[in-house]
Order: sequence, then structure tokens, then C-alpha cells
Amino acid sequence: MVSERRTDFEKTDIVMLVLVVVLTVFGLAMLLSASEYNGRVRFGDSAYYFKKQLFAAALGLGIMYLIMNLDYHFFVKLAPVAYLVSVVLSIAVLFVGQEINGSRRWLNLGPLSFQPSEFAKVAVILFLTWQIDRWKKKTDSLWFMFRTMLTLLPIVGIVGSNNLSTALIILGIGVALIFVSNSRYLPFIGVGVLGIGFAIIFLAAESYRLERLAIWQNPEKYEKGFQTIQGLYAIGSGGIFGRGLGNSLQKLGFVPEAQNDMIFSVICEELGLVGGIVLILLFVLLLWRLCVSIMHAPDLQGALLCGGIMGHLAMQVILNIAVVTNTIPNTGITLPFVSYGGTSVVFLLGEMGLALGVSSHRKGVYTYNRK
Amino acid sequence: MTFLFRGFLMKKLMTFHKKKSWTVFLCCVLIMAGLIGRLAYLMCFCSERYYGRAEELHERERDIKAARGLILDARGKVLASNRTVCTVSVIHSQIRDPEKIIRILTEKLGMKEEDVRKRVEKISSIERIKTNVDKSTGDAIRECRLDGVKVDEDYKRYYPYGSLASRVLGFTGGDNQGIIGLEVKYDEILKGKPGKILTTTDARGIELDSLGERRREPEEGKSLWLSLDINIQKYAQQEALKVMEEKQAERVSILIMNPQNGEIYACVNVPEFDLNDPFTLNTPRDTAEMTEEQKQERLNQMWRNPCLNDTYEPGSTFKIITMAAGLEEGVVSVDDRFYCPGYILVKDRRIHCAKRTGHGSQNFVEGAQNSCNPVFIQVGLRLGVDRYYRYFRKFGLLTKTGVDLPGEAGTIMHQEKNMGEVELATVSFGQSFQITPIQLAVTVSSLINGGRRVTPHFGTAVSDREQTKAEELVYPVKEGIVSSETSGQIREILEKVVSLGSGKNAGIQGYHIGGKTATSQTLPRSSCRYISSFLGFAPAENPQVLGLCIIHDPKGVYYGGTVAAPVIRSIFENILPYLGIEKTGENSSEG
Repeated sequence: MVSERRTDFEKTDIVMLVLVVVLTVFGLAMLLSASEYNGRVRFGDSAYYFKKQLFAAALGLGIMYLIMNLDYHFFVKLAPVAYLVSVVLSIAVLFVGQEINGSRRWLNLGPLSFQPSEFAKVAVILFLTWQIDRWKKKTDSLWFMFRTMLTLLPIVGIVGSNNLSTALIILGIGVALIFVSNSRYLPFIGVGVLGIGFAIIFLAAESYRLERLAIWQNPEKYEKGFQTIQGLYAIGSGGIFGRGLGNSLQKLGFVPEAQNDMIFSVICEELGLVGGIVLILLFVLLLWRLCVSIMHAPDLQGALLCGGIMGHLAMQVILNIAVVTNTIPNTGITLPFVSYGGTSVVFLLGEMGLALGVSSHRKGVYTYNRK
Repeated sequence: MTFLFRGFLMKKLMTFHKKKSWTVFLCCVLIMAGLIGRLAYLMCFCSERYYGRAEELHERERDIKAARGLILDARGKVLASNRTVCTVSVIHSQIRDPEKIIRILTEKLGMKEEDVRKRVEKISSIERIKTNVDKSTGDAIRECRLDGVKVDEDYKRYYPYGSLASRVLGFTGGDNQGIIGLEVKYDEILKGKPGKILTTTDARGIELDSLGERRREPEEGKSLWLSLDINIQKYAQQEALKVMEEKQAERVSILIMNPQNGEIYACVNVPEFDLNDPFTLNTPRDTAEMTEEQKQERLNQMWRNPCLNDTYEPGSTFKIITMAAGLEEGVVSVDDRFYCPGYILVKDRRIHCAKRTGHGSQNFVEGAQNSCNPVFIQVGLRLGVDRYYRYFRKFGLLTKTGVDLPGEAGTIMHQEKNMGEVELATVSFGQSFQITPIQLAVTVSSLINGGRRVTPHFGTAVSDREQTKAEELVYPVKEGIVSSETSGQIREILEKVVSLGSGKNAGIQGYHIGGKTATSQTLPRSSCRYISSFLGFAPAENPQVLGLCIIHDPKGVYYGGTVAAPVIRSIFENILPYLGIEKTGENSSEG
């Protein structure tokens, strides 16, 4: 067993592992810089946010190491349970959750707080993998697509009731996984068109959502465009090479909650266009490694796991940067590995553990062992 | 077998899984490439705009006052300069020991403790305790090194000669901006450009010490050079005060100027007021009973410059204008004879001469010497309304002189169409209309200088503080007001007025002085208040200096020749040698 594990580790995607570690360390460094002012002003401790994040990242790396050395099929088997637990936790948070900044998204577990919606993303990836793997022969049917989406509705509804952005991500993961599991393209074009139509109706239904669009068009004219415009000021202030690490001025209370959703703007201000592009390229490399893992996955479960993780990561990175650059209207989505949020980092690293696990069970080796 | 089957199935499955995964990946890469493009657009092309906006957001400006330019007299004596004063303020967030601050500030600034306490304890970013604190006091407070107490240096306008030429120089307000006089007219030149201290702050407005501050040094205001000569001004003021006291007059104005170029050497209006304390009335009146409005009204009155802000009936000095028009038009010559029975009938009106018994037979020059009203009325009537009015306009009496002080008043004159013979007759000897003293002085200047209407002015040059580069100020001159012959005749006649006639009290041994007296009754005529005035110039052949003395409401003898002419004589006696005008000696007149 010991010798086998070592050979497994040798097969682990080292590039992916290095990328994950680099992103985690880079994220921690930028978080320290971006949160320094807010930590000092609010808690009298420049490293307040950093310390909490450091703890979460350490925990996450440990969990990642653990998961990558376990057989991922074990987690897929637990998927229905995980899904149920995430639904229960998501309901629980609506009633007993801790309210921060006007939304109930956290469950208090002693000294730690836990965000069930982050867990829900992982649970959905596992649950869909489990479903698709079980019905693999009939996945091309429209009925399957419809039914699978239907199973996601409870969690999307519950999470969406107080965190629309995360619900959107969960929905996106679902669509991505169904898209990958289906050999056809045409229905998805239909789904895309339907989705756009639905989005328009959804936006038009409530005037405040249309207002959001107006703010997006002209952030400087609206008071609510404040966050967006401050982010743009930060990005614009960066120029090609930035003000230098730690020298952001916009993080000094101008960009609200600089350590959260808008952290990418602080990165751009401090490290410039070069820093911003390097970070995006790091994410692209990680997505590429995940894609490679799908190619080499020993079975459908592994491929779907990596596909879900890739979809999750890509969606958050794209939506976050698109919001910060005011490419799309404002919506609260965090930047993976960088934005402040313990639960998010722990589960993200957990997901990376799963992907690394899949990459170490390469085709051939796995089938040989199983046989 | 199962392995083979699984392998086959998987291969088929993986084919589209792979394809689709690649599709997803490539879509993501495409979108991210788009985002990189968007980012590059924002950070390269919008960078300047956003950087500028962010800078505005982060920077706080504090102005550094610029030192106001000096005002210098004709010989370079400083008439207006700046004194360094301090502003003491507290920054609430930096205060460590409020009690100590309150104690020290109360003691040093001589303020009530409760006032200081209120300001020190007020929660604000910066609170001003006191402005215009003496530099020594400010330095003493700075020496105490109190945390949170700021002593900023500032400039306050200072006038070394106090009340001298107060209405000419004017004074400045709290922001060092000119309020009246030359200070407001030349404000743009004098005020300079304030500097700035730029500091970067966080969102709460707290300055970031680590980034330091950027300074843009203030630009000092430029210095203004005047034609006003402090010695002449002083002497004229002394004479004005003397005659005001002797005759218990209400006020006295004296204007001394160069008729050749319009430079004003002195402009006295006594009583003057203290420029270093311009908000205190110069008349010993109880201000306590006045309302704010009344007090302000009185201050506004006090700040007026009667030489150009107010008009008066010039009286006989205006006969110079009638004389010039008559001579220029040729309706009268110096040898023309007139008879004065003591009055003249114009239409159905009998207009009296000052000498009720009449001057009898006299030629035009003698008429001028006697300041005989019927003579000048006849000259006026010979011209007629049309021509008289034309000359009135030609001499520039209907336009302002353009003197470089604010608020010059215009002429109050009959409309041409409303002017009948009676009006013409009264205008001919200087009644029934009003002009400013400066208008009279300038018009006479242009009539005696050969016919060039000069622009009266104080400012002659503008220079920087080091006085290296001086930029001369140029003023318009209008040629051909009268012919040089007429001008010469006027000078000769006016010289005779002083040497032989009513102006003899202005004569000075060794100088040829020209001049004209005037005594006018103010409206209403029944109040028996008079304005005595005298306009004189020297040397008569080539006038270099012209003086006008106007005494309002003198008690006792009120004839201009008796009261005002000696004032001009006394001033001329002193300033002619001072200005380097040599005595001619040969033709002396009896004093």
C-alpha cells in the first residue's frame, strides 16, 4: 500500500500542484496587502484578515493532501449524502445563520464560521458526477438533461434565496457537466437562447435589476456605482507596472471591502497590467492542467469531477474579473485563491485535492489495479 | 473481456467528453483573452483618466497664501507691504493633552478660556482658534511644541504711512483681496498666485505621512509703482489739514498732477482714515448706537474718494473751459471789450455778477482776471448751445477720465435738447451742472498743455519683487483738443489771473503761476454753504504741475481766491523746487 501510494504520488500532476501552491501563496500575499488597511482600521491588527486566511489555507492544503491520496470514487459514492447535507445546511443557514453585512451566509461552529454555499458547490459537482455516471447510457436524452437539472433546483433555490451569485455558479456547474456528458451540441444552443431569454425577463421583472444595468453603463453617474468606479480607479491607477506591492491607495478605504470581491483591482493597482495578466495566465494554466486531467482520467467519474472543478474555477475567475473590469454588471463573486473567505479556500483546495487525485489515477494504471 | 468492452465503451465516451471538455476550456481561454484585452484597454488607454480621478480623490489641497505685491511711490518708498501674521488652529485627532493646550492658548492668545475650550474640544478635522496673531506670539506657541496645535504663517497687508492717501491706496480684506482704491484696481497684478500643499489621504481624510507632501510654491504678487510722491502727498495733506482746521471746513480735497502726462503726484482728501484699521469710522461719533446697516453706510461714505467718486458744481474754475471754447471758435479775442453793469439779462432772467456793483468796461483778459460772470455768459451766448455743447463733448467732459481707480463718477449735465439760453448762461460760468474734481483737473490740463487730453493715473510701472524688470504702464492720450495757439492764450490769461487778478494769493516770487479761483454755493442755495476752490499750475509758460484745492463748507470768508489760492501757493512753494522747477526770476508778482 505504501509503495503503491508513492507511485501514485509520482504520477500526480506536479505542474497542477505547483500552480495550486503558487496561487495560494500569491493569494495570501495579495490578501495581506489588500486587507492591511481595513484590518488596521477595524480591528487594530494589520494582519487580522491575513491570519484567518492563513489558517484556512493551511487547513485547506492539509485537506488537499489528504484527499489527493484517497480514492476519489469514495467521495463520489458519498455524493448523495453530501448533497443532502448541503441542502440541510443551506436551509439551516437561513434560520440560524450569522448575519454579516446584511446577509445570512455563515454558520457558527465554535470559533470557526462556515459558509454552506461553498460546500454546496463541491456537493453539486460530486452529486452530478454520481448521477451522470449512473445513467451514462442515457445521458443524451433531453429527459435526462431536464431531470438532472431538476435535481439541482432545491439547492439552487435555497442558496439563491440569499446569495444569487453562488446559485448562478451552481447552475453554471450543472450546465457545464451536462454539456460535457452529452454528445450533442444543438440542445445547448437552445438552452443558451432560453437562458438569455430567461435572463432578460428576470432582469426586466424587477426595476432595481435594470438599474443595475444602468449603473453598469454609467457607473460614475450613480451612487451605487461607487464600488465599480473605485475598482476602475484602482485598475486605471496601476498602469503597466503598477504602484508596487503594498502601495495601493485605493485599498485605503476607497474600494469598499478591498479584500473581498474587488481584490483583483488592488492587484492591478499594485502590480500593474503585467501583474494582472500573469495572474490570469496562472488561472489559464491551472484550467489547462485540469483539462489535461480530464483527457487522462481513468474513467468517467474522474473526468466529470475534473470537468466540474474546471467549470467552477473558470466561472468564478471569469465572472470576478469581468465584474471588476466593469465588463458585466456588478455581482458578488469572489476570486478563487485570492479573495478573503476561509470556507471558500478550504473547499477550493479540497476540490484541487480531488483533481490531483484523479490525475494520479491515470488511465491504464487504474484499470490495471482494479482488475 | 469486460476490460476490452469497458475500454471500447470508454474510448467512445471519452471521445465526446474530451471534445466537449476542450470546447469548454477553449471557450474559457477565449473569454479570458477577451478579459485581458479589456484589462489592457483599461490600464493603457483609460489609465490617465482614472489615475487623474483617483488622484483628485486622494489628494487634499491646502493653499499657501502668496505675498501680495508692494505698492511703491515715485521714489521707491513702500506705501503698502505685508506683515507676517499667524493663524493658530488645532487638529482634533492629534491632540494629546487638551488641558495643557487650553491653558497655554488661553494665556498666549489672550482669549477667554471657554472660547478656547469650545474650539479645542470640538470634534472636527481642523479648527481655527485665532487668525492674525502676531508673529512673535505665533512663534512662542510653536516653541511650546504642543501636539495637535498648528501655527500657520500668513500675510496681512500693512500700510506704513497709516492714513496717508488712504482713499487712493485702498485696503484689502480677510483673503488679502483688494476692497477699494488701487488695491482693487490692480488686484490682479498685486495678488500673486497662491501656492498649494498637496497631501495624499486615505478615505477618512487622514494624511499619509509616508508619502510626504508636494508643494507648489506661491508666486508673489508684482510690485506696483506709483506716480504718487509721498513727500508731495504728505505736504499737501498737511496744508489741507491746516486749512480745514483754520476754516473749520467739512472736508478738503487736493489734487496735484502733471498736466503733461497725467501722472498724479498727490490726492488728498481730509479727513483721511487709517488704512491699518479701515473698519473704524474716522469721525469721532458714537458707533454704539448705530445699527450694523448705518455703520456700514457710514463706512462706505468714508471710503469714497471725493476727487473722483463724487461730483460738484465747479463754479468759476469752469470759465477756463468757456474761455477755451470761445477762443478756439474765434467768437472772442483777448482784446474784445465787455461792459459789466453787475448783472446780465438772459431772456427774462437777470443773472448777477459776483460783484453786484459791476466791473464796468473791461477787455476779455480783464474779465477773466475779475472772474466776471457777464463776460463769460456773453462768450457762452456767442457760441450758442450747439457749439458750446460740441466743445463740451470735444474737451472730453462727457466721458470719464479713465483714472486708474474704481468707481469714477460721470458728468451730470443738461441734455443738449433741454438746454436753453438760461442753462447755457449758467453753464458758462460753471453752474447748474456737476463734474468730478479729477475731470476738471484733467480737462484744464489738456487745455493748457497744448491740447492733449491725458489720462490721469497713479500706476506707472509694474515690476517683480526684486525690481529688476519693470513694465511701464501706458495710458491713452488724445491729441488736438484745442490748438496750441489757443492753449498758449489760455496759459497767458490764467497767468494774468494770478499775477494781476483774483488769484493773486497764489502768486509766488520768482515763478509764473497760472490759475483760476472759484466760489460756488452748494445746493440748496438757501443753506449758505460754499465750496471754495482754486486751480493753479506752474510754470505758466510750460506747465509741469497742476494743483486743485477744493474746500467744502469753510466758515467765515469763503472766497476761493482768499481761502483756497493760498493753499496751492504754499504747496507750490515747496514742491516746485522739490520737482526741480527753476525760478524764472524776472517777472515777479506781488504776494
